[in-house]
Amino acid sequence: MSAGVGVDLENLWIRFGDFVAVRDANVNINGGDFFSFLGPSGCGKTTILRAVSGFLDPSEGKVLIGGNDMRGIGPNKRPTALIFQNLALFPLMKVWENITFSLEIKGASTAERRKRADELLDMIALPGQGDKLPSELSGGQRQRVAIARALCAEPDVLLLDEPLSALDLKLRQHMRTELREIQQRVGITFIYITHDQGEALTMSDNIAVMRAGVIDQIADGKTIYNDPNTAFAASFVGENNVFRGKIKQVMGNEALIATNRSGDLVARISTANQGKLKEGDDAMMFIRPEAFAIAPDGASGDHFVTARVTHEEFEGNVFNIFTEGDGGKEIKVSLPNLGQSFEDHTGQNITLEYETRNAVLVPAGELAAE
Amino acid sequence: MPGFLKEFFNRNGTGMGLAILGLVLFWTIGLIILPQLSMLDFSFRPNLPPPEIGGPKDVYTLENYKYLIYGPEGGSQSYNAVDLRVFFRTLIAAVCVTIFNLIICYPIAYYLGQSKGSHIRIFAIMLIIPYWINEILRAFALRIIFGETGVLNTLFMGLGIFDTPFDFIRNDIALYAGLGYAYILLMIFPMYNVIESLDGNQIEAARDLGAPWWRIHWRVVIPYAKPGISSGCTMVFMLSAGALAAPQILGGPSSLWFTQLIYQQFNDNNDWPQGAAYAIVLLVTCILFVLAVMRLFKVNMGDIGK
Amino acid sequence: MNNSFLRVSIWVYLVIFFLYLLGPLVIMSVTAFNSSAFPRMTPWECLTFQWFGELFQDQRILNGIKNSLIIGAGTVVLSVAMGLAGALMLTQIWPKLRATYYTVIIAPILIPGVVLGISTLVFWDRINRMLGLGADSFLSNGIFLTVIGQSTFIASYCMLVLVARLQRYDVALTEAALDLGATHAQAFRKILLPFMRPAIASAAVLAFLASFENYNTTTFTFGEYPTLTIELAQKVRYGITPAISALAFLIVALTVFFALLNEAKLKRQELVAAARKKATVEELAGKIKLPSFFSGNMAAVLLVVFAVATITVVGTATAYNPGQCIANVKEQKRLEAEQRIQELRKQREEQRKKREAEEAEQGGAQQSAPKPSNNSGFGNVFAPNSLGGDAEEEGSDSETPPSNNGGFGGAFDPNSLQSDQ
Repeated sequence: MSAGVGVDLENLWIRFGDFVAVRDANVNINGGDFFSFLGPSGCGKTTILRAVSGFLDPSEGKVLIGGNDMRGIGPNKRPTALIFQNLALFPLMKVWENITFSLEIKGASTAERRKRADELLDMIALPGQGDKLPSELSGGQRQRVAIARALCAEPDVLLLDEPLSALDLKLRQHMRTELREIQQRVGITFIYITHDQGEALTMSDNIAVMRAGVIDQIADGKTIYNDPNTAFAASFVGENNVFRGKIKQVMGNEALIATNRSGDLVARISTANQGKLKEGDDAMMFIRPEAFAIAPDGASGDHFVTARVTHEEFEGNVFNIFTEGDGGKEIKVSLPNLGQSFEDHTGQNITLEYETRNAVLVPAGELAAE
Repeated sequence: MPGFLKEFFNRNGTGMGLAILGLVLFWTIGLIILPQLSMLDFSFRPNLPPPEIGGPKDVYTLENYKYLIYGPEGGSQSYNAVDLRVFFRTLIAAVCVTIFNLIICYPIAYYLGQSKGSHIRIFAIMLIIPYWINEILRAFALRIIFGETGVLNTLFMGLGIFDTPFDFIRNDIALYAGLGYAYILLMIFPMYNVIESLDGNQIEAARDLGAPWWRIHWRVVIPYAKPGISSGCTMVFMLSAGALAAPQILGGPSSLWFTQLIYQQFNDNNDWPQGAAYAIVLLVTCILFVLAVMRLFKVNMGDIGK
Repeated sequence: MNNSFLRVSIWVYLVIFFLYLLGPLVIMSVTAFNSSAFPRMTPWECLTFQWFGELFQDQRILNGIKNSLIIGAGTVVLSVAMGLAGALMLTQIWPKLRATYYTVIIAPILIPGVVLGISTLVFWDRINRMLGLGADSFLSNGIFLTVIGQSTFIASYCMLVLVARLQRYDVALTEAALDLGATHAQAFRKILLPFMRPAIASAAVLAFLASFENYNTTTFTFGEYPTLTIELAQKVRYGITPAISALAFLIVALTVFFALLNEAKLKRQELVAAARKKATVEELAGKIKLPSFFSGNMAAVLLVVFAVATITVVGTATAYNPGQCIANVKEQKRLEAEQRIQELRKQREEQRKKREAEEAEQGGAQQSAPKPSNNSGFGNVFAPNSLGGDAEEEGSDSETPPSNNGGFGGAFDPNSLQSDQ
């Protein structure tokens, strides 16, 4: 990857009156990375984006772009371009005028702007549509015009604020691939804001998981999925089954916990918490639905869970079994459909088996809302 | 507060922010608040020739307000019966004009607000056009109609309803018609805006439940349209009470309007403080009256002007 | 049954309502073409265009129009600027101040115009004195005071018009422009201003019309610069002539013209937008086939009808000479009047004899003034079957040109004259 311009947040605090929107954020974004802030709405991720683009002054701490402190530098002077959630295409300008607005500001001639617009329109696969008005385009086309308009400003950092949220599912999935391709082609840093973990996982080099103004974890997608730092990260990214309990015994990087209803179970302590969790601590163990297998009846031990099946469903690629779980939550088990036969277990007790490396232990904490 | 200002300048830029703030301050402080305060202050001062202003005689006095109530000092009457009568007559007449306007405008506002079709736009233009014509000319038009040999008298005498011309002007009918005419639009538009947003299904539902048409209006439409009605009534009342052109042109010889007294104090008697005092009395009374009526009907100030 | 009755009564009501609304304007316009010196529809005498001629020779009217235009332009600029600033402030003011601020900027609409005029006059007079300036300084100039006084409340109207559109503005658009490198001023000029343009145009038209027709405030502030409205008020208060009807007709015609023009333009924009929506890429890139100006555009058709009618009328006016007709009417009226005067004399004679017999002392004025111009006496004596007005006309026809009725009316107490007419 080419060495683009990096963005660093140092001890960043942003307050609105008494409300703390961002609490002591420290993030290093490498140049040329596709970096995502992932979190539920209201967690402060858009606030961070506005601080980077210059619409907000941090209450404390610094925003550095390419190593330069951005304090006091307005949005129009920063090497960033923002793609707004609602795209904010200028409704009264034609598509080509929208795209080359940044050139108009710099005083470029009409011919020059036309030429650049045509190049960018080719790049976003909308050749010849320059004379339309934004309202005459479809949602996906508008999306691409917004990207072209931002790229035309030749920013070092492109900021994207949930730009895909208004599109339908099919288009969203298509645009994910397209965005990633564009990013790799232009080689500049992308900072992407989303509440959709699928978008974050598929596109990003690195992801920051945010909860209520706090960054819980910064890592690549695989790490976040397999080795979450906190209960929130574990429950927010992907589906997960939670088992609450107290740590009975720590054995190196593994621990035995006394769960509330499934007996003593063994789990791997997540990397960030190794050495920190002690015996007697409240903890949560997370096991993904696809990490379970059905064990033979009567099997028991510290990696077997027995529970009553409440209902089952067939989803095509997987077969889901739901059993009674902890604290009103169900345990979900997804068995891949490999052509085997599934028998109906509804109302019966079944025993589930997992491998220790697939059970992650984190300190007890707040779970993501549904 | 400085936080707000800082954010304001961040959002608008220093130059634009200063321009906006400057214009707003000039308007609110320089054109609205200070002149009113200045007039209030002026109304408590004696009428002095320019060289003596600010001199030893320039002291605060209640003389100008006393004049409205007791008349000139040493006058024959114990009360200023003429001016007070004009004052109360103006207020009562303004109330009558407001009610008259409300009654004739409500059906139109309801009709325009609840029917669909392109003819509504034509109606809207027809409503606005008279309002674009000069206020004086509107009064003039009515004078042509209500004059002794005007269209109405000719018509009525031709039909044999009157045998002598009826003096519409001396009987103030022309004046009331003129005031009502002048402010129709201000009554219709606020009501229309509210009624337009009323979901027609509510009316359908009420009709479905067997409510007669008057009950639908009484229980569904009017309560919903209350902000618009109060907005329209407030504007019409304030403007009729403060009208000057219509009374001057259409008023009978014996029926002065209170604004005409103010006008006389300023232009004929050259007594500015006295005129300012009368203006203050008119302004304060009208505001108090509107506030009282609004409290009576439980309407918010914020609804006015919407 | 009940339903159809309601529908019919609604239509009847609409007809009556619009008769009340538009009837006076139509009647006033028609009187501009009647040669009768008092503006009236009946009796119809002769079709004439003379009142338009008189109108354009009246220096006071022309001067008033000039002042009105200057003041109107000043008011438009100041009130649209203040209204826009006020609206922008309203959308971003500190929430705790919002209600108070709104009350302050909306208040001028409700303050009687008379009060605004007085407060403006008093306040700037005081500022003028505080600065030690003379009575002829800029601050006591009638144009300055009138613009300031009118803008106080017209800016509130503008603010209401502008804020309605501003509420639909997406602040992200300005932010997007800033983000793409524009300064705040550029973002304002290139993004916000074009978005606000329709509302600014409406506000400007509204401001101009409000300024043009304002009387209550201007009457205190105009100083040496009477506006058209002030001049009209002077004329109308002291006696009315069809020249004013002629002016009214012109204003009505202009208003209708611009209303139709605007409507036709709006309709066309709608049609064009609809056509663009349907157009394919190639059509847009090349030439898109736009609907012609008239198709489906009622207002445009009316506009053309209106223009044709205007040309016809102006054409007729240049060719038409009502001289003969007027002379006939005059002659006829002279005969009638003579006859009446004789009858009158006879009657008076009888009365006097009667009164002398009774030794009554009353009626000095009536006896000594048999001249028809003294219509206050006439109106009282006769059961007037449109006679009072006729007599007055006779008087003014023969003695004074009708346009000069400032002087004519000045002789009378204006109030008594009003009641007579």
